[in-house]
Amino acid sequence: MTQRPPSPALDQLNKKRRFKDRLLWGIAACALIVIVIPIIWIISQVVSKAIPHMSMSVLLTNTIGNGGGLKQAIVGSITLLVLVGAIAGVTGIGAGIYIARYAPRAIAGFLRSTVEILAGVPSIVVGFVGYIALVVGSHWSFSIWAATIVLSAMVVPYIAKATEVSLRGVSDSLREAGEAIGLRDSLVLRKILIKSASPGIVTGFILALAISVGETAPLLYTAGWSTTSPTFSLKHSPIGYLTYPVWTFYDFPVKSASYLALEAAMLLIILVIALIALAHLLRHKLSKNLPQSL
Amino acid sequence: MEITKDKAITQLDNFANVNQLLVAESPKAINVCDFTGRFHGRTVVDNINLEISDGSITAIVGPSGCGKSTFLRSINRMNDRISGWSRQGSIELYGEQVYANDVELLSLRRRVGMVFQRPNPFPMSIEENIACGVRAHRLAPRSHMKDIVRARLEEVGLWKAVSGRLKESPFQLSGGQQQLLCLARALAVQPEVLLLDEPTSSLDPISTQAVEELLKEFVPELTIVIVTHNLAQAKRIADNVAFFMNGSLVEFGSCEQIFDSPKEPETAKYVSGIFG
Amino acid sequence: MSTHTSSTQGLPFSPLRGSPLSASPKGQLNSSKYPYRVFLGLARWWRAVVEQSPQYLSAVLGAIPFLALVAIVIILFHEAFPAIKVNGGGFVTHSKWSVGSEYANPIRRDGVATPVGATYGAWPLILGTLEASALALIIAVPVSLLSALIVVEKLSARASRWVGVFLEILVGIPSVIYGLWGALTLGPFLAHHLAPIANHIPNVPILRFFRGPTYNGEGLLTAGVVLGIMIIPIIASTARDLIRQVPASLKDGGRAIGMTDFEVSRKVIWPWIKSGIVGATFLGLGRALGETMAVLMTCGAVLGTTAHSIFSNMNTIAATIVSQLDSAQTDGTGFAVRSLAELGCILIVITLICNIGAKLLLSRATHDTTTT
Repeated sequence: MTQRPPSPALDQLNKKRRFKDRLLWGIAACALIVIVIPIIWIISQVVSKAIPHMSMSVLLTNTIGNGGGLKQAIVGSITLLVLVGAIAGVTGIGAGIYIARYAPRAIAGFLRSTVEILAGVPSIVVGFVGYIALVVGSHWSFSIWAATIVLSAMVVPYIAKATEVSLRGVSDSLREAGEAIGLRDSLVLRKILIKSASPGIVTGFILALAISVGETAPLLYTAGWSTTSPTFSLKHSPIGYLTYPVWTFYDFPVKSASYLALEAAMLLIILVIALIALAHLLRHKLSKNLPQSL
Repeated sequence: MEITKDKAITQLDNFANVNQLLVAESPKAINVCDFTGRFHGRTVVDNINLEISDGSITAIVGPSGCGKSTFLRSINRMNDRISGWSRQGSIELYGEQVYANDVELLSLRRRVGMVFQRPNPFPMSIEENIACGVRAHRLAPRSHMKDIVRARLEEVGLWKAVSGRLKESPFQLSGGQQQLLCLARALAVQPEVLLLDEPTSSLDPISTQAVEELLKEFVPELTIVIVTHNLAQAKRIADNVAFFMNGSLVEFGSCEQIFDSPKEPETAKYVSGIFG
Repeated sequence: MSTHTSSTQGLPFSPLRGSPLSASPKGQLNSSKYPYRVFLGLARWWRAVVEQSPQYLSAVLGAIPFLALVAIVIILFHEAFPAIKVNGGGFVTHSKWSVGSEYANPIRRDGVATPVGATYGAWPLILGTLEASALALIIAVPVSLLSALIVVEKLSARASRWVGVFLEILVGIPSVIYGLWGALTLGPFLAHHLAPIANHIPNVPILRFFRGPTYNGEGLLTAGVVLGIMIIPIIASTARDLIRQVPASLKDGGRAIGMTDFEVSRKVIWPWIKSGIVGATFLGLGRALGETMAVLMTCGAVLGTTAHSIFSNMNTIAATIVSQLDSAQTDGTGFAVRSLAELGCILIVITLICNIGAKLLLSRATHDTTTT
């Protein structure tokens, strides 16, 4: 190779290209900041406005008209969380297992698309259908079960998808090793596949619950609103939940009402972040005894 | 010997002695007759006839994609689940048809163990990895499990390294140790035939040597079939060598014969390193 | 001693050697350690049930998402059908939204009882939905794409995990809280800072759309910005997964001929992920179209008019369903609820098209990467 003479033009060009490179990565870094800013802004606004009015009585008294506390809403939200977790959890994980493991290829593809389409149905449409079919159509009136069904229909696809993807991510050789020593299918599924996929399944499950706890639109016309603790009868069992006061009271001209909205918003943020943290904690714990690649 | 006597295992040994006669009279360990396997109609294993004698080490060698892994997996029917798989011909295990309709797959796989290319311990503790197969097949009462785990780990020379952390995850072990654990796991269900699919291809030379030494110790109690890319390895450990090419069995003979005086020109080319 | 030695060094010889492979009763002898051999038949039956149960149980559960989807579509269209018949094509072109008179006796139109004077035109809602979503995409796509790029190409594994956590929080923050923040903080903030500029924009076509009084900030701009932030995580995480699939060897090839990292991104990564990004955009669009509470709280929720500037109050389909369902219940004929169901039908059709389009584009994108 011959030594080229130094070329000022080339140097100039390289300098320009390097500058452009740096500039564009700078802009990309700004994009990252754009993601972080709203989170900090939202959380700090809500928390700083809510903290001054926060007291134990908020947690310990029920809502009275547009004042009082949020006890029944907290209890209601957590009740819904548990019910949805049980129903959507079983359904979603079962569906995910079927699609990933048992379904014939064509059916698996079809169900996978169904799950994705269902995930894309706007929450308000699911809620509206719940209102038409259950609250009015089946004469349940506002009902904790109508709310549970609607929320479950919304989060099942997330859970099913997470389960399916994590199960498919388990290497075939692990399944084959189980089969090769003559373990029964159910044992292979339980002890090897599900265990290997558990970090993904659990994370997906909890994140889906975090989404469900923040839903409002589908609940307004299925759960109604209640200022007393939840009851579990099929009909006429409206239930309080934390997103309701945020939506209903935020622009009330009464101070106690708007405080209630801010406090509920803060509790929601705490609940959601706690759930996300829990998901990561569990993921970390569960994947500790798994190969790194998973 | 400081080690406490292991009731279960002694019992097993007694059984073994009784069975010695049976074994001596038994037919070839594996008898493959006109076996053809296809994926989606494409022939991958073409009309194989092969007899593997009891208590021998048979190495299957050949260039990549020659169907040797597929053939190996046909012996314990691991291909059954794979879509598009179809086969003709028969494989006999000690005179019994492997592909007969009433074959209990679980028993077949207990009798024919398998070790894979990459170490793939189960996501459970080291102890459980070995115990789960024993328990699933109810090979021993629960109370003997500890001794069995220990015996199997000692067999593969892993006991010293892991005795203090039986309850821990196997994924902290080195690759070689993981593969040894997989070997112990396969042995724990007392197989008669052990299939190994390039078991040392992802291991370092020292672990490879350890595995090879072990395999040699296991015969003649165990019949071993090993697929390998590594001709030197075949030469080191095999009694018999089968050379596969393009899905067919080109030549089968004793190790010396294949390496020193191959009958087929392709075999000669392959073992002398001209291709493959 | 000697037996012991053999048991630990040699192999354990299988008492089971030669046990039959077949499932014949003889074969069951290898379960001779079963203490309850008498119940073997029963145990075997039970084992078969247990063995098969996950398969059938999960098949039943696997059908549920499909049944739910079918039920949602059928119920919605069944409810909307009379309204579709009466409202006709005018539903998507007209602007007037009126429940009609509660007091006069209902009249029958096309065999459907409707209040006198009930007219339903969804044009402003359809347009508003599209406008807000378009604005959201304009904000979200570049931000998502650039941040996905920097996450994959520049950040350490640890830092990118944190970005992942932030995206999860962004998904997790409830819609109402975005609405609250949009209405109480972001809206007034934008209105205050943009008002001086907005009033000096020349009154000429196109630019006119950016001119006008900003009021208290409720309107198209705030709704669009909030929506944009809300759909960033969907687009960004999809884009991130796509960029991760670009083979390292390709990128190295680019660097090896002296491309800068950004040139590699543009010339090597971008062509590879292009169609996938379009898919991701559709996915984000699908979410934006259906978003309800945040929009409802920030859009000003005006009925019957289209936005004449980016600061105008407006409304979307989803927001209208929530805000009008209360008053729709006062319509004794149920026609108002049916008209809302018709809105729901439009919404579900648009979002389905978006999501199916996204799925096709994304599956093609991932297919490309696996085959090439």
